[in-house]
Amino acid sequence: MSNVSASDVNNSEDWLLRVDDLSVHFHTPRGVVQAVDHVSFEVRPGETLALVGETGCGKSVTARSIMKLVPEPPGDYASGKVMLRNPATGAVIDMLAAPMDQVRATRGDRIAMIFQDPGKALNPSLTIGRQLAEVFGEHRAQMLLTNAGIDPAKAPLGSKSVASQRAGVIRRSFFNLTHRGQSRALQAAVDASVIDALSDTGIPNPRKVMSSYPHELSGGMKQRVMIAQALACDPDLLIADEPTTALDVTIQARILDLINDMQQRRGTAILYITHDLSLVRQFADRLAVMYAGRLVESGPALEVLRSPQHPYTQGLLAAIPRAGTPRGQLAAIAGSVPQLIDPPPQCHFSSRCSFSAQACTNHVPGLIPLPVAREVACLRFTDAVSLGVNQEQMPSHVDLIEVESAEAVSS
Amino acid sequence: MSITEQQLGNGQPATTSKSDVMTLRDVTVHYPVKEGVLQRVTGAVRAVDGVDLSIPRGQTLGLVGESGCGKTTLGRVIAGLVPATGGDIWFDLDETAKAQMERLRSVPEKSMSAEDKTIWSHLEANHRLGSMTRERQRVYRRNCQFVFQDAFASLNPRQLVRDIVGRPLRVYHEASGEDLDLKVINLLERVGLGPQHLLRYPHQFSGGQRQRISIARALALNPEFVVLDEPTSALDVSVQAQILNLLVELQEDLGLTYLFITHDLGVVQHMSDYLAVMYLGRIAEIGPTAEVFHDPLHPYTKVLRDSNPSLEGDELDHSAHLRLTGTVPNPIDPPQGCRLHPRCPVSTSECGWQVDDMFLSLETSTPASFEAISRVERSSPFAAQLVMDDDVAALELFTEIQNSRSPFGGAVENIELDGANVSIRLREVEEIPLIPVAPGRMSSCLLAGRPDGIRPPAESR
Repeated sequence: MSNVSASDVNNSEDWLLRVDDLSVHFHTPRGVVQAVDHVSFEVRPGETLALVGETGCGKSVTARSIMKLVPEPPGDYASGKVMLRNPATGAVIDMLAAPMDQVRATRGDRIAMIFQDPGKALNPSLTIGRQLAEVFGEHRAQMLLTNAGIDPAKAPLGSKSVASQRAGVIRRSFFNLTHRGQSRALQAAVDASVIDALSDTGIPNPRKVMSSYPHELSGGMKQRVMIAQALACDPDLLIADEPTTALDVTIQARILDLINDMQQRRGTAILYITHDLSLVRQFADRLAVMYAGRLVESGPALEVLRSPQHPYTQGLLAAIPRAGTPRGQLAAIAGSVPQLIDPPPQCHFSSRCSFSAQACTNHVPGLIPLPVAREVACLRFTDAVSLGVNQEQMPSHVDLIEVESAEAVSS
Repeated sequence: MSITEQQLGNGQPATTSKSDVMTLRDVTVHYPVKEGVLQRVTGAVRAVDGVDLSIPRGQTLGLVGESGCGKTTLGRVIAGLVPATGGDIWFDLDETAKAQMERLRSVPEKSMSAEDKTIWSHLEANHRLGSMTRERQRVYRRNCQFVFQDAFASLNPRQLVRDIVGRPLRVYHEASGEDLDLKVINLLERVGLGPQHLLRYPHQFSGGQRQRISIARALALNPEFVVLDEPTSALDVSVQAQILNLLVELQEDLGLTYLFITHDLGVVQHMSDYLAVMYLGRIAEIGPTAEVFHDPLHPYTKVLRDSNPSLEGDELDHSAHLRLTGTVPNPIDPPQGCRLHPRCPVSTSECGWQVDDMFLSLETSTPASFEAISRVERSSPFAAQLVMDDDVAALELFTEIQNSRSPFGGAVENIELDGANVSIRLREVEEIPLIPVAPGRMSSCLLAGRPDGIRPPAESR
């Protein structure tokens, strides 16, 4: 884990992914669902950012938007940019505005994703080897040709489409007939790449796994295959969307060890989507908490967990059963998550918040910077004058100086 | 103190005494595996395989384990939803009845004295699931309720809340008409809902509210014992806290006994007085929750505890943590000896190594030797004759096993080389029983009672 110091924060050019003012809406017969509402954050090279929130808070939609995977319609990128920087050249691509072929070239190569349910994310009708070969075919066809001893410039007709796995059965068999030797060499090159990728994730006997179908593997093994597939092209950013929710706790521990280990070896940045705050403590450098489509708090993971400032983060942490809590006295957050269909312009948490005041129901709180690289979206940190309302309508105020001194004491 | 229908009808809270609500002795549930055109039975999935368990009155027993370990099946057996294929389940035994049961259980009926026979038949008619009288069965059924994991699937989408919650009352002729509505409203208020929810359908509720409806239905007949099968695993943390608080409050007010089935160690640590850890159809360890967490007496419990991410303690140091290797074995053919041994980080040569374990370890450590095996003749799980491709491969395998310093190597009793044939015999080990190791604590690990306890072997440290 790297400690985020103030100097890192001020260095504004040190980012890999910048999500800027992203809004994603879904058009439904009942109205417009504002699933993601003006969300902005950054991921720096090599760090782990955890995006935490409960069911329906928009964390998965945010993750999918980064890959531009939200189906349109019913989805609609109402505003914002998703900018990915090439750390080597400094070139920036906006995933939402770029032409589709560029987006396709980026997916799987520079940004990869691990999904929640490996059973559903793998194609049940293809062997593991074929599925992994697709990744190499899509992004590394040149490399495969070179490895097979075929000069890409003088490659025979058909070899390119076979290498990129786009050739149909007829073309493949034709190429096999006309260029038998090269066809074999190409297959060997593909197999070697796949085996490399599989054994890198600690899968025993990769040759056997390669020729098996997803249903023959256990959940943990499937998730390892997913990770192998995601990291096959050495991406700069890995988006892990609840990668261990479907797994048992002992398997979860080993998968997390693996992700951690791969990150250390390759320096991949990870955007870790989860609902489990206790995982965040172990694996994340920074933490961003979402509620009802909005970012409510962000900052260095340990700091936020030690002294949460937003009432929602506080409630979420207090609701986790711990060894010391007396039985039956968990601090539950009353009520439930509000509907996001055409929501009123207010703090979405106000209906469940114990600090809620009149101003909370007619103002949308923006993110306010707190000392040491933290941000919080709560009117308790805003002063009445800037909103133009009376002091009586505001929730009890928290002074930034108090937060700072509390930080100083705790650290 | 035993319960009669009369008492519960009056709505009195059940009295707490030292008796057990449920007592399980050597319970098994085997699901047949059928194959071929004739659907011949070729084996059995041993979902629950020899479980002894007592559920003390007024307490919460937590049951944890990974998916597929049989915890849900065990819960269903206890609630009478699945018949046991072996063993006895006893309901509502007080101390004297329990002692009689323990004494007579091992005695064959033929060699019992006439007096014992009367006692035994009385016990069976009043307490044993499957041979109870109709009246006692009614008492058992209304006293033992179930809250299902999936509150979306367990509520009939075409019925109103009034019908769902009122159904048990109707079945047992407790109430009808306006009286029924009043009772249902009372129940809804108990679980934090209100009269406005009476005439709604399940789809109009959120996940947490549905689970509340499920709980209200379970409480309708004022039961004594509730099986909670992962009641909060589909819920978010903030809602989970609401439901857990509600369950504790209800337990305190009504003197309920819970069997809390879950895979979430944080939740079970918070909720239960006693904890039973299950692995592959058997209980690995059982004891008071705090003690089990503080000082696990089974490596599986230790792995579970260490794998569970926590918000406290120095989690950044993973090196001291034990991890399991491999995957859960097939419950159709569970490992001999201790069921954990092929995956166990602290296994010894006495844990029940068998021939199949050798193939697993060969496959990962020396694939060449594994590929060279051309035929295997097993005479028992512990002995086999391997026919290798050639003499060289046989010699290689022979020397490798002989020089093996792993616990498996220590279990080899006899190995012979004859040309391309290798015959191997391993130490035979019986199934390791659950034995008391400390006051109130039982473990099925060989190492639990030893002075060194369950620590990683010295060479790996």
